[in-house]
Amino acid sequence: MKISYNWLKKYVDLDLSPEELEDKMTFGGIEVEAIEKIGENLDQIIIGEIKEKYDHPNADKLAVCKVNDGKNDLQIVCGAPNCKSGQKIALAPIGTMLGDFKIKKVNLRGEDSFGMICSEKELGISENHDGIMELPEDAPIGKKLSNYLEVKDTCYDVEITPNRPDLLGMIGVARDVAALLQKPLRLPKVTIKDGKESIRTYLSLQNDAPDLCTRYTARMIKDVTIKESPEWMKKHLRSIGLRPINNIVDITNFVMMEYGHPLHAFDYNDIAGKKIIMRKAQKNEKFSALNEKKYTLEESDLVIADEDKPIAIAGVIGGVNSHITPKTNVIVLEAANFLYSSIRNTSKRLNISTDSSYRFERDIADETVEKVSERATQLILQLTGGTLINGFLDSYPDPKDPIEIGLRRSRVKKILTIDISSDKIKQYLETLGLELFREEEDIQTYRIPPYRKDLTREIDLIEEIMRLHGYNNVETHIKPQNIMNNKEFYLRRKAKDMLVNYGFSEVRNWNFADPENLDKLTISEEDERRQNAKLRNPLGDRFAIMRSILLPDILKNVIFNINHGQKDLKLFEMAKTFTRNGKKLAKEIYHVSGIMTGILNPIYWKEKQNKIDFFDLKGIVEELLSIIGVNNADFNNSKENYYQPGMGADILFDDLKIGSLGKLDPKIAQKFDIEQEIFAFDINLDKIFTLDLKLKPTYSEIPKFPPVLRDLSFLVEKKFNYADIINTMIEVDPALTQVDLFDEFTGKNIREDKRSLTFSLVFSSKTKTLTDEYIHNIINKVKNKLKEKYQIEMR
Amino acid sequence: MKEKLNEILIAAKEEIGKVESLHELQQVKSKYLGKKSVLNGLMRKIGTLPKAERPKFGQTVNTAKADISKLIQNKQQDIKTKEYADKLESESIDISMPGRRKEVGSLHPITKVMREIEDIFISMGFEIAEGPDVEDEAHNFDALNTPEDHPARDLSDTFYIDDDVLLRTQTSTVQIRVMENHKPPIKIISPGSCYRNENDASHSPMFHQVEALVVDEGVTFVDLRDMLKIFVKKMFGEKIDSRIRPHFFPFTEPSAEIDIVCVKCYGKGCNLCKGSGWLEMGGAGMVDPNVFDRLGIDSEKFTGYAFGLGIDRIAMLKYKIPDMRMLFENDIRFLKQF
Repeated sequence: MKISYNWLKKYVDLDLSPEELEDKMTFGGIEVEAIEKIGENLDQIIIGEIKEKYDHPNADKLAVCKVNDGKNDLQIVCGAPNCKSGQKIALAPIGTMLGDFKIKKVNLRGEDSFGMICSEKELGISENHDGIMELPEDAPIGKKLSNYLEVKDTCYDVEITPNRPDLLGMIGVARDVAALLQKPLRLPKVTIKDGKESIRTYLSLQNDAPDLCTRYTARMIKDVTIKESPEWMKKHLRSIGLRPINNIVDITNFVMMEYGHPLHAFDYNDIAGKKIIMRKAQKNEKFSALNEKKYTLEESDLVIADEDKPIAIAGVIGGVNSHITPKTNVIVLEAANFLYSSIRNTSKRLNISTDSSYRFERDIADETVEKVSERATQLILQLTGGTLINGFLDSYPDPKDPIEIGLRRSRVKKILTIDISSDKIKQYLETLGLELFREEEDIQTYRIPPYRKDLTREIDLIEEIMRLHGYNNVETHIKPQNIMNNKEFYLRRKAKDMLVNYGFSEVRNWNFADPENLDKLTISEEDERRQNAKLRNPLGDRFAIMRSILLPDILKNVIFNINHGQKDLKLFEMAKTFTRNGKKLAKEIYHVSGIMTGILNPIYWKEKQNKIDFFDLKGIVEELLSIIGVNNADFNNSKENYYQPGMGADILFDDLKIGSLGKLDPKIAQKFDIEQEIFAFDINLDKIFTLDLKLKPTYSEIPKFPPVLRDLSFLVEKKFNYADIINTMIEVDPALTQVDLFDEFTGKNIREDKRSLTFSLVFSSKTKTLTDEYIHNIINKVKNKLKEKYQIEMR
Repeated sequence: MKEKLNEILIAAKEEIGKVESLHELQQVKSKYLGKKSVLNGLMRKIGTLPKAERPKFGQTVNTAKADISKLIQNKQQDIKTKEYADKLESESIDISMPGRRKEVGSLHPITKVMREIEDIFISMGFEIAEGPDVEDEAHNFDALNTPEDHPARDLSDTFYIDDDVLLRTQTSTVQIRVMENHKPPIKIISPGSCYRNENDASHSPMFHQVEALVVDEGVTFVDLRDMLKIFVKKMFGEKIDSRIRPHFFPFTEPSAEIDIVCVKCYGKGCNLCKGSGWLEMGGAGMVDPNVFDRLGIDSEKFTGYAFGLGIDRIAMLKYKIPDMRMLFENDIRFLKQF
């Protein structure tokens, strides 16, 4: 629904800007979906006066005017018939934008024109394009037209939720706004002077469908003059997108938009039998509506009829047979209410949606009928020169008593947390039109105004209190703990789960350790892992320190299992390691360590069994690192003494050591009584958790063009390592998106210091299909680069 | 002529009948229906016949052609059906043979139980808190209201690293650290290792505990009792009820010990519960106001409860593990059972 700022101002003092009001409404439950500034395009239009008018020497229909803009006299060529000397006019000077049209200096048939005199249509004020807009005598020359006309307004497009039909009019919205701003609501003062004759001699009502027509009232006014509405009313109607038609239609529309309750006016002379009948339509009854369409009605439709014919489809649309015409002299003003579901069905079936049906189908109040009737009557008497015929016909079969709701202050606190005083609650609810009529201890009892059918229970009132108090106007109530480190907690779990899925079993050892283990592993005396937390009263020498490395205990588990006939093992442990270095407490660091030994895969009839090798271990470690967010670690030759030389690697991330892996030096293994090959890894989890790693994947565009695959084989000296070679290749061109090692070959026919490498190259592009030539070029670039850096020989 | 045609038909029928492959069938097809076929040869002789006989003759030849064509088509369908059946026959396997499985490892039973406990409490809004294993006396004893001369402080009970540095004897230390750094409301559990100087079939010098701490306005003793009941049922099943009975701990008041219905006999009495029908599960109580006061928490405004449970014992009960030492032997045949 559309709401006008200026119109709202009639009912409530707005000392806040249109933008502030938007915010207030949205956070008060009236969601503003769009906002439109009216009259902003008129900012450049100024008021001018035609000082002199001459005939155009070369064109019969044009005139040349001398127009004063408050400072200078401008020559302007004008073609309007009502252009005359002394007339105050709306002047668009050179440079003005009228919509997309820019006013420029032009020459019209030999006469220069420095601007334009505008019609109302050109200004977007009305549809009138018969001539230029004529401004009153008192219009101040040189001033902005928009200020003079006060056309500037802000129009809000608001979403009215289905529970609030009372907001389908300006007053309803103003009431909420007033309550939100805690300002008084100004309702229009309505007084009607009684007429002389009695309405009963003119008209009677007959309600044949009291279940569908819950209330019907009629007033009559005679001697009305149908003409244009005054400017103020047209302005209001236009501001919310309604087209002014004539005074009577405009008044019914205006009052509908004011109170959210539709009205209808009939031409009395069209009503046969001096009687208005509310009845169900006959099956297949025909009706010609105001929208120039013919409808066939059903028995479920409610019509307003006279003795001969239907004159309106109740609440939906009027008929051509009884509508207001320029000749209308006596009118019947209908203010009524209908069963919302009936209106909805009819409107839906006939596919007619009007401002009227939109409101009636939302269950508006019977009680508003009197008010809108009085208000419209008042305006009709004021604006049409009509005379009221005395009396008010009212068919109201089943008036309802007002609803009363008890509200416990203790309950308000219970639901909302906030402790609001009884006075404050009363203030909030009374501005919404609720009437406090009883108060005892904790309980206030309110009488609910009829237009608030949504308020039926205590909890509904509590909602209103919170809405007016402001949802965000309350201090934080839930205090977060933020004790748990969710990231580390769940990454540790993920790491364990991943290892289990790769065949590893978790071991748990005591944190006490044998200091001799460090000697066995030939950990140097300077190593941090030698700074042990020593127990004063250990269980024995073999449990004298808190362990600073997990591997020895896992090796102990290995030999235990080998001794029990279990030779193929994959074990891991995740635990804290302890060192103590001058500080009172120990440094406790989470590590995950593990070993693999024996046969890689379990016995399977279709496969031969492979012994575990370095790359089996490395693959798992790489996977593990990637699970916890490390995707591009470097592997350098290890500085640990316990790996077999040339078969151990330290894992580095940005030059920071985060772990190691490799084949245990057989001599070291022997010290733990192990004869099998052992592949071991160790990762410092806490160090990884300190890194700034991107754990959340983000989408990257999937190439639309199929990838192209090529192989590349060459001989290269063994001294160059794979990682360097592949990095060199991938950097050559962005279209080379992936390089995988396909094969390594040494021996037969190859010099001893060389090896043959075969790579599978993947080319893909997001923007084009890659041609053979293009790929060929990249491969050549790759070859040249490799020749230059590593002196490769192509095979 | 007619005889000739009949002979051809019979010969074709016979030949088609013998065909076994699609390739052979193709050859037969070109022999009888191809450009150089006998039938086409006959057709070419049509000119030698008297005019009146020609249409009839043409018709007869065409019918013969259609018959042969039909025979070939049927044969082709037969061969295809048979080939498909043969293919299926030859691909059939012994589906009882083992599938290709990846070797999967196992989590340690303590880890499994710990996770279960963590998840139950996380689902009830608790957070996980951690603290150091190597602790000072202040957190392990003083803050927990343990008197200077309490026997727990003995070397025979507690592992010491320095005069006042030790291995925590309970995870209650984490309570203290959390309350030092966070204002209420607090709702945490802290699982972790603890150490006591004892080693036998039912005691390990290193063992695992989970400690719970809830501090807020309005936390009551009944909340504690009910939370324990809920936890025990979630952990062991609806049949396992729990109870608390008065006890003494220096840092809780009132204090209680927690019993659960014996998981083996469901309360009837057995060797596991030594006939009582109940198993002891841990300690609990309302946080002693002294503990709060020492930490600067307003003990008039806030109340709280804490309880501690032995994870290893829960694991042993849950998995029916007879000897605590098995938990740390790491026999792969044991580990892979979980």
